[in-house]
Amino acid sequence: MIPELLLRASEISYSNGGKKILDKVSFELYRGQVTTIIGPNGAGKSTLTSIVNGLIENYSGEIERLPSLKIGYLPQKVYVNTLMPLTVLRLMQLIQGVKDTEVDQALAQTSVAYLKYRQVQSLSEGELKRVLLARTTLGYPDLIVLDEPTAGVDVTGEIKMYELIGEFRNRLQCAVLLVSHDLHLVMSKTDQVLCLNQHLCCSGLPESVSKHPEYLALFADQSDNTLAVYAHRHDHVHDVSGKQETF
Amino acid sequence: MHTATIMSMMYPASKKPFSMVGWLDDFLVRSILAALMMVSIAAPMGCLMVWQRLTFLSDTLGHAAVLGVGIGLLLEINPLFGVLAVVILIVFSLSQVANFNNALSETALAIISHTGLAGGLILLGALPSNSVGLEAILFGDLLATTRADLLMILVTTLILLFVLIRHWRPFVALSVSREIAQAEGISVRKEQFLMYMMIALLVAVLMKMMGVLLIAAMLVIPTTSARLLSQNPEQMVLFSLAFGFLSLAGGITSSFQFDWQTGPSIVLSATIFLVITLLVTRQISLCTRRQSR
Repeated sequence: MIPELLLRASEISYSNGGKKILDKVSFELYRGQVTTIIGPNGAGKSTLTSIVNGLIENYSGEIERLPSLKIGYLPQKVYVNTLMPLTVLRLMQLIQGVKDTEVDQALAQTSVAYLKYRQVQSLSEGELKRVLLARTTLGYPDLIVLDEPTAGVDVTGEIKMYELIGEFRNRLQCAVLLVSHDLHLVMSKTDQVLCLNQHLCCSGLPESVSKHPEYLALFADQSDNTLAVYAHRHDHVHDVSGKQETF
Repeated sequence: MHTATIMSMMYPASKKPFSMVGWLDDFLVRSILAALMMVSIAAPMGCLMVWQRLTFLSDTLGHAAVLGVGIGLLLEINPLFGVLAVVILIVFSLSQVANFNNALSETALAIISHTGLAGGLILLGALPSNSVGLEAILFGDLLATTRADLLMILVTTLILLFVLIRHWRPFVALSVSREIAQAEGISVRKEQFLMYMMIALLVAVLMKMMGVLLIAAMLVIPTTSARLLSQNPEQMVLFSLAFGFLSLAGGITSSFQFDWQTGPSIVLSATIFLVITLLVTRQISLCTRRQSR
């Protein structure tokens, strides 16, 4: 069974101020799959998610989206507007048609139900991140885009976060696009890896990417000892269909 | 003599009636109606502008609008149309620059603002001196509201309120985070452009009543008081309305009582309400902190 294609990016290039940031990047996102973008700082990871989200428009190449594709997005940095009074509940309900009970459920998932009536600007960075992570699951998204959701989270928190992301995917039957610059933890929960360094160095199943020479060159210092611990386990039959290996 | 002068003094100050019958007098009713409409649109627009840090845009448009008054008088049309043309042109050209946000940098706005002001002042100076009062341009003249003005304000207010109600959710969403709003399918560029056009319209109308120097005050001061009391965006709009009406009442009353200019009196009374709110909320938060200890 081939899962539904949600988004196809073909030969995406983007330059800003004469500096090439992305060079002919192509990939596809399928429903029910977790795709992780890894790469060093300045590789263009956040730029790529901004293009997927529609935040950057002046790129070259083509993006085909499922019409009416609904995206839930957690940016890397969230600027909190102190000039605006806003409770967590109202923040969640800025998404159209979200019921009170759904808000409760979403907040409970990331264990921040107690923040429901708090002012957004009174939250700590970690609390805000969890609230916004919960928010990405509201309104029945087809795709959840998470830009470094684990930044500033300790390792146990990180493992929990990835488990949570897997749960989101299973419950909502959505695709997840995850940006990370650390790789080992990510690998175990991912169906597809895009290894990015301005151009797409390599992509595919985590096992094949982790053996790719360009990947090894990029992450030589990181990939020697810990990778084996987090060997990839498939929990979906369609994950092993040869389809994705042709990328 | 230009008959349709926006700043026309329909009623010279010497004839200002101040008796119980005066309250029913035509011009006062007109002024109060105009002021009420002004507040009811300035409250929600002011909140959005404060959230998106756009109040300086209203300042820029207000200053540059002097050029519009000059052009309007020169062409012998209603200056309001000259003002509208200038502010819409500015907003439109800003939106054409690739990066909307960079275009709104303080420097760019300061240049536009003062160039418009300078051009306008030269135009006004070249015109016959009796055609327009500079004071009315700078500080507004609420009490000189004509029937035509009133109609114009009514139409503008209705248009703005209609668009505001229809676009409230995306406007609030993009005030919270442009990135998230865009990802969730709101066309930030389109909504932002719409908002800037609305600000242009608002400035053109407020200018007549508050003058170019005091427009921003009506958008900022009541909303700042409201911020202190509210938990949610919509609450802030309601409190802004309340503070706006209070400021009007205080301003118009003191204007009559002491024969002060109306616009500045309204602004001053808005500030007094802000200070009172500030003191009261601080006192309350101090008390609750002491109790919880």
